[in-house]
Amino acid sequence: MTDMTATMAAVPATARRKQVRYKSPTVRGRLPVLILFLPPALLLFTLFVILPMGEAAWYSLYRWNGYGLPEHFVGFRNFEVLFNNAAFSQALINNGLIILVSVLLQVPLALWLAMMLAHRIAGVVAFRLIFFLPYVLADVAAGLIWRFVYDGDYGLVAALAGFFGAATPYVLADRGLAIYAVLAVIIWKYFGFHMMLFIAGLQAVDRSVLEAAEIDGATGWQKFRYVTLPLLGSTVRLSVFFAVIGSLQLFDLVMPLTGGGPSNSTQTMVTFLYTYGVTRMQVGLGSAVGVVLFVICVTLAFGYKRIFMRHD
Amino acid sequence: MASVELRDIRKSYGALEVIHGVSLAIVEGEFIALVGPSGCGKSTLLRMIAGLEEISDGEVLIGGRVVNPLTPRERNIAMVFQSYALYPHMTVAENMGFNLKLSGLPRPQIDKRVGEAARMLALTELLDRKPNQLSGGQRQRVAMGRAIVRDPAVFLFDEPLSNLDAKLRVQMRTEIKALHQKVATTSIYVTHDQIEAMTLADRIVVLNGGRIEQVGTPLELYRTPANLFVAGFIGSPAMNVLEGTVDAADGEPAVRLGDGSAIRIAPERKVRLGQAVRIGLRPEHFVASGAGNAISGPTLLVEPTGAQTHVLFEFAGEQITAVVDGDHPARHGSLFQAAMERNQVYVFDRATGAAL
Amino acid sequence: MTDTTSSARMTAGTRLYLYVSLSLIAILVLMPLVTTALGGFKSLGDLRVNPFGLPSEWLWSNYLDILFGDRYWRQMLNSLFIAIMTVTLTVIVSAMAAFTFAHVKFFGSNQLLNYFLIGLMFPAATAILPLFIRIRDLGLLDSYWGVILPQVAFGLGMSILLFRNYFRNLPEELFQAAFVDGCGYIRFFWHISMPLSRPIVSTVSIITFVHSWNSYILPLIMLNTEEKYPWPLGIMVYRGEFGTDWQLVLAFITLTILPTVIVFFVAQKHIIAGLTAGAVKS
Repeated sequence: MTDMTATMAAVPATARRKQVRYKSPTVRGRLPVLILFLPPALLLFTLFVILPMGEAAWYSLYRWNGYGLPEHFVGFRNFEVLFNNAAFSQALINNGLIILVSVLLQVPLALWLAMMLAHRIAGVVAFRLIFFLPYVLADVAAGLIWRFVYDGDYGLVAALAGFFGAATPYVLADRGLAIYAVLAVIIWKYFGFHMMLFIAGLQAVDRSVLEAAEIDGATGWQKFRYVTLPLLGSTVRLSVFFAVIGSLQLFDLVMPLTGGGPSNSTQTMVTFLYTYGVTRMQVGLGSAVGVVLFVICVTLAFGYKRIFMRHD
Repeated sequence: MASVELRDIRKSYGALEVIHGVSLAIVEGEFIALVGPSGCGKSTLLRMIAGLEEISDGEVLIGGRVVNPLTPRERNIAMVFQSYALYPHMTVAENMGFNLKLSGLPRPQIDKRVGEAARMLALTELLDRKPNQLSGGQRQRVAMGRAIVRDPAVFLFDEPLSNLDAKLRVQMRTEIKALHQKVATTSIYVTHDQIEAMTLADRIVVLNGGRIEQVGTPLELYRTPANLFVAGFIGSPAMNVLEGTVDAADGEPAVRLGDGSAIRIAPERKVRLGQAVRIGLRPEHFVASGAGNAISGPTLLVEPTGAQTHVLFEFAGEQITAVVDGDHPARHGSLFQAAMERNQVYVFDRATGAAL
Repeated sequence: MTDTTSSARMTAGTRLYLYVSLSLIAILVLMPLVTTALGGFKSLGDLRVNPFGLPSEWLWSNYLDILFGDRYWRQMLNSLFIAIMTVTLTVIVSAMAAFTFAHVKFFGSNQLLNYFLIGLMFPAATAILPLFIRIRDLGLLDSYWGVILPQVAFGLGMSILLFRNYFRNLPEELFQAAFVDGCGYIRFFWHISMPLSRPIVSTVSIITFVHSWNSYILPLIMLNTEEKYPWPLGIMVYRGEFGTDWQLVLAFITLTILPTVIVFFVAQKHIIAGLTAGAVKS
């Protein structure tokens, strides 16, 4: 009898547990928050970033002046034109050159300065500010300022040449020199940003590790080579990454300096896109440049992150 | 104030079940501590009661009402978090009154209730400060103040003292106990610190691996642990455990240890001859001289703590800790001699760990 | 390379080497800026013979003419309006979206976040022609909104990421405490997340503001009327008009970059932190 009541009591309890399924409580307002908070971003982003990118791929297959509908389908003709175009080839070469100089000159320069500014000496903060200043200036203003510097009649370079008794160089008008002049401005404009990255990276290096290396007998150079540099690895990779991506977008700085000239010797991909695509309303050709640029950016970004930054 | 009941509570993450059917009845006004090693599920259980964690199966009742589908606010619980979780941008007063403000209480009433709570916790002077201007103990009190302001049915504490230093922890422990005696709200307190549980709780729930090992008053757990796990968990320093087999010595039940020595056990232990067991000897049950089992061995280590001295000695091939009076003349290398009454010897089945 | 130990143990030689190197580079950095500012005080003839030195006669008229004309101020106000609207919209829209990614579990949230992160991978220039056509078709050509909306859209990837990471790093227990206190999502966003987000709001604002203030290609393509030009466009037009009158162009450049320089020196800590940390965190 007592056994009976025990089982009787047990059975309904488990049965009830199986029957009733409670909806667990959720934080209030989940649906409203999704409906209110997501669409603005989604709409703006889709409308002005994703769709145009997709349309660039579509338009790149047409010859179109931007009015009416793109109807004149030309297949990959625009890309063919592009890769047979001397100015575009020059733009590709220039973008490559900019990447090379950014990585091989600018990044080491920035690291060198950051190492010097890691010393606790008077005036460090002032130097830091001065070096970072060009980075906050607008590219357009920097370009114009350097246009003055390079000016053959009124500029600083002309005065310097005169001082040394050399003939006045018209740097920006010289097909061979102009691109190097642009490269110098790029370094002047952007090294401060990379320097700040390295300063931040150096601050994260544990001082006691350096002291341990010193006790182990490492010289200044050895400390840098075997301790600091390896510990800065992720910063170096990040800095190179920004240098590459930044180089590919270069436009604002080149326009006031040379506008891509003389005779296309300083074109970049974006100035080419502007000159040949936008000003002449060759939507198909311009979009094809956009597609090429997109593919290069995405490939580099993915490839670089996968190969060099996977551990960071 | 309300009673709390758990009915066969389960929690699983996908196929992995971490709480395996916990049932528990907590009466109104009771102070319950959930203890266990980290990962035993005590915090998960608390958060399921709070409504912060989904209940996979089973029912939680507060005040006789099933609260599974209710939000924390609707359950009318208050919680003190391990990190206190004070809102850093609000003053003490705003922190304490935030809940009342959200429920639309008029400002004068909020101020009144915050003021009362602040007086109770000696926070009146600090009401205009921000949390980062407070010491650890003060933050702790604000966290409690935030809980009592709303006069909840149940207080939930999630390891509230673990971020404090040892001295402050003892002080705050006292304050929590005093507070509970004053407001007498049903409280559920999670901790991994058995001393905290012992000193604070009316009853302790020992959890291990998502199951309840034992429920009882602090002294019940200490005196009659249901199994080896509870015995080892409750009490400090921890109980000494030795392996042996049940045997008879001079016609009385005893446990024969590995080295052949016999430890007599109480005759009412439900053991059978030849059973593989473990015996438990509490360090504080050793007496310098007296009746019972004589236990001795070379002294390995002496740790004076003042009133008492912990002696580590070797016996039956094992290292045993004993707590003796501070005056006891113990020295490294000398022979340590002590006795233990047979009633004090705990016996557990070696296979199941259950107390015999 | 030099070591990074304290100055106490530094030799005089090291010190000299440091100061000489740093000063040389500082001169190279500053020279173009200083000569530009000085050039604005010179006459054209003075500039021709003496581009480096102090003006032989300080000519205030170059600067004053610009300051008393309405062209300069109009351009500055245009830029300011575009930048402020861009910052405001970016902060609001991205904070809200980031909040859902940080706190609300919903189907496909990871995929959706990745969708926004595509925006980090390519510059606005790649899609500039279709963007122009879209803005034209929306009737926004030659209006500020034609510049502002694409700027906001292209900034969303980074700012959503920054906000989301920040929200995620707010202690989880804070969220639970607020839940216990009776907050729903929207109240949590409003009462807890946003008041605690001042540092990240300032980072996002600085990045967005600097970007918008300096931006050239979008307004170049979207705006036709000179009255609406922000200053980077205006300065190019100005140079086109006054081509060889370099002293005027230099004065104009100086005045346009002056606000940037002043704000930079006043708020350098925040700006440097914002611009570099923002880059690193994303």
